[in-house]
Amino acid sequence: MSFVLESNADGTTIVHIGKALDFRNAADFKKLCQDQVRNGVRNFILDFSETGILDSTGLGSIFSLYRQVSPLNGQVVFASVSRPVQVVVQLTRTYKVFRQFPSVDAAHKSLA
Amino acid sequence: MEAYIHHFESFDTLIEEVHDLFDTWESGNKLPFDYDLGVLYMLKLAVHEWIANMVQHAVFSTPSPKVTLKIRKDEDRLFCSISDNSNGFDLAAYYDSLPTSLKVFPERGTGLLILRSCTENLSYTPLEDGTFCLSFLVSANQDPWLSIQF
Repeated sequence: MSFVLESNADGTTIVHIGKALDFRNAADFKKLCQDQVRNGVRNFILDFSETGILDSTGLGSIFSLYRQVSPLNGQVVFASVSRPVQVVVQLTRTYKVFRQFPSVDAAHKSLA
Repeated sequence: MEAYIHHFESFDTLIEEVHDLFDTWESGNKLPFDYDLGVLYMLKLAVHEWIANMVQHAVFSTPSPKVTLKIRKDEDRLFCSISDNSNGFDLAAYYDSLPTSLKVFPERGTGLLILRSCTENLSYTPLEDGTFCLSFLVSANQDPWLSIQF
């Protein structure tokens, strides 16, 4: 359950989450994002198109990323949110914090 | 009413087995009754949070942990129970001990709150055979909400 990263010259990184962001891999996600922030990345697009589970620990790791980049005027946005992830987004009302886009391209255009 | 019952084979692969089951149901191999896909996703989240909590925190006195999942339809809702042979804990007391509001952007400690938020009639009780059983309902009529401060 590893993540696929796409780094762009404009300082945006796309993280393709894959099947799960949960207690099994949240620490890896956190470390990966910390490294990106350390390297100057400020904007993150999280692609949930193939994600079957986002759990409380996974959501906590996204909160951690948000806490890192928001003081640096960075953003974390969600793209292609799958229905299982949408259940968590609605339950926790995190759509108030993380803007959602129908595709990675749409998210990227918005951040450009 | 027909029920679906699954005895998990191995504690080491418990969470993977849970997701294999739900992947099967989501891809068209139905449970033995009709249900709304949205309810199934809610059920998956609830089951995942409980099993995740068990894998990370449960104490078993036996060398062979046993976990059984049962699901049946109850009118327009799904009834779920998950029994285990762990030492158990007092879930109601745990909820009672929690502060009334969560930290801003909490990184840990929301799993059982999510479980409570997306279910009805939640309980975790000892059974006569010495095992413990979590039971709850999920329904399409719910509009669950966990209050997190941002």
